[in-house]
Amino acid sequence: MQRENTFWRIVFLALPLSVFAVLVIWPLASSFFYSFTNWNGFSSDYDFVGFRNFAKIYTDKLFLNAIINTAVWMVAAIVLPTLLGLGLALLIDSHVPGGQVFKSIFYLPICLSAVVVGQIWIWIYQPDWGLLNTAIGFVTGEPLNYAWLAKPNTALGSVIVAWSWQQTGLSMVIYLAGLTAIPEDLLEACDLEGASAWQRIRFVVVPLLTPATVVVIALSVINSLKGFDILFIMTGGGPFNSSDTLAMHMYNESFKKYLTGYGSAISVVLFLIAITVIGIYFRQLKKVDEIYG
Amino acid sequence: MDEANAMDLPGHGRPVAQPFNPWPAVILIAMICLAFLFLAPTIGVLLSSIKTTREIALGELWTVPAALYLGNYVEVLSNPAVHRYLVNTLLVTVPATAASIGLGTLAGYVFAKMPFRGGNLLFLVIVSGMFFPPQAILIPLFRLFNVVGLIDTLWPIILVHTALGIPICTLLMRNFFATVPNALRESAILEGANEWQVLTRVALPLSLPALAVLATLQFTWIWNDFLWPLIFTQSDEKRTIMIGLVNLSGQYSVAYGVQGALSLVASLPTLFVFLFFQRYFIKGMTMGAVKG
Repeated sequence: MQRENTFWRIVFLALPLSVFAVLVIWPLASSFFYSFTNWNGFSSDYDFVGFRNFAKIYTDKLFLNAIINTAVWMVAAIVLPTLLGLGLALLIDSHVPGGQVFKSIFYLPICLSAVVVGQIWIWIYQPDWGLLNTAIGFVTGEPLNYAWLAKPNTALGSVIVAWSWQQTGLSMVIYLAGLTAIPEDLLEACDLEGASAWQRIRFVVVPLLTPATVVVIALSVINSLKGFDILFIMTGGGPFNSSDTLAMHMYNESFKKYLTGYGSAISVVLFLIAITVIGIYFRQLKKVDEIYG
Repeated sequence: MDEANAMDLPGHGRPVAQPFNPWPAVILIAMICLAFLFLAPTIGVLLSSIKTTREIALGELWTVPAALYLGNYVEVLSNPAVHRYLVNTLLVTVPATAASIGLGTLAGYVFAKMPFRGGNLLFLVIVSGMFFPPQAILIPLFRLFNVVGLIDTLWPIILVHTALGIPICTLLMRNFFATVPNALRESAILEGANEWQVLTRVALPLSLPALAVLATLQFTWIWNDFLWPLIFTQSDEKRTIMIGLVNLSGQYSVAYGVQGALSLVASLPTLFVFLFFQRYFIKGMTMGAVKG
């Protein structure tokens, strides 16, 4: 029996584990390896350069710029969709008529691709006939020709708005699922005790939504780190690198300048940041788990 | 009694005879405004796709057209490049979705029903794959597929999506299999079934909702992907629809109507999946959110 179990474990795990090892674990290890070389991406020989690629990071102004942009991008891409999604979920959960329709409307953008979302929002931000300038012009009465994506001050923020538009539906759905798990009689008890709606949401509903918040934030972190496509489509990291993130910088160094060794070093840094953020997050999670059981 | 007032006015308590409560109406109006704001971008594209280039050039991109014009769709659907992009995307998405779910099912079954020493650690390693930024594995994968001569074919895209799908599929299937009673497996084994039979005849038929959830997630994510086809393909013959969309928007640079039609055509498969599987998707999210 025991031997038979071992046999089936090996049979079942062999394929998934080997695919995962060859196409995920091994490349990850290789990235670490290449980050110590001056490989150009296609020649068969390269030299070890020790920590020179990592030293270069300190002098690369574009890297510093990319790190700052990545931080702004991540924080905004986590906070905005999470709060918006929570708000929408609470509104829909208040038994508003047509809740199902509203849910589908807010959720719809999540099934569009980054390319399509990017395209849509490029039109919205278009200076001459874009929806945003048209709407502002309509309200203020003065025609506006502001090029949102072509100005360093607004490029990154504009992409963040487009990103939030897409991601909000996802957090809303997860919060709605969390809301259905809250026992009805608990909310009735709040009413009986004379709690206001705000008190009920602040002290009962939101704390009870902690498991949903955990899922929402984890998904937001994962998605925002992968948020390369939409920046690539909408700004390409520009203008003047004002929306250049680490992922973008790494792509440019590796595939435009063929500094693959250096690109690998950037990807290693990106990986370490991802692991650190996720690690911190799950540590906090453990504490939350201990508090709420 | 009045459970419709989850958003009651702060401090209003629960008066016995409240003559008029404006809050449900306020919320409804707020929701309608928000819904309109959320729909506006999508509606804009839809409207542009049924207008002539001339109408759009007159600054009418965001208005409702006087007449329905389908020329943009004719233009898009008769373009052989679009056919090729769509076929390529299908050839990538379907096998990669199926393969990642299949592999995740196998691994998830072992982790849920046949625990072993070190199994939890192995499970954590696999699941952590969800958090890896794709850029961290991109260069070595490019090199690997370059060496074996698969660059500019669809194979690397299929293989990488399969591998990157394993973490989420394993996680979800393990969590779902954990809810299948052990007694079912044990009685099947007592009756002479082997693990493969337990998996395919007992556990999987009970797991259709989980499979539907994963099919939705994986199909949408692979169909919409931009990065991997961008890296692994070079010739127009092998491009997928999302890359094609970007290429063609250069070709149709002022034909906004055609661009709009193209965006919608490219999004149709995922929109259909969304409409048909929405229930399963939300169910899956409930599982994830409630069980952590």
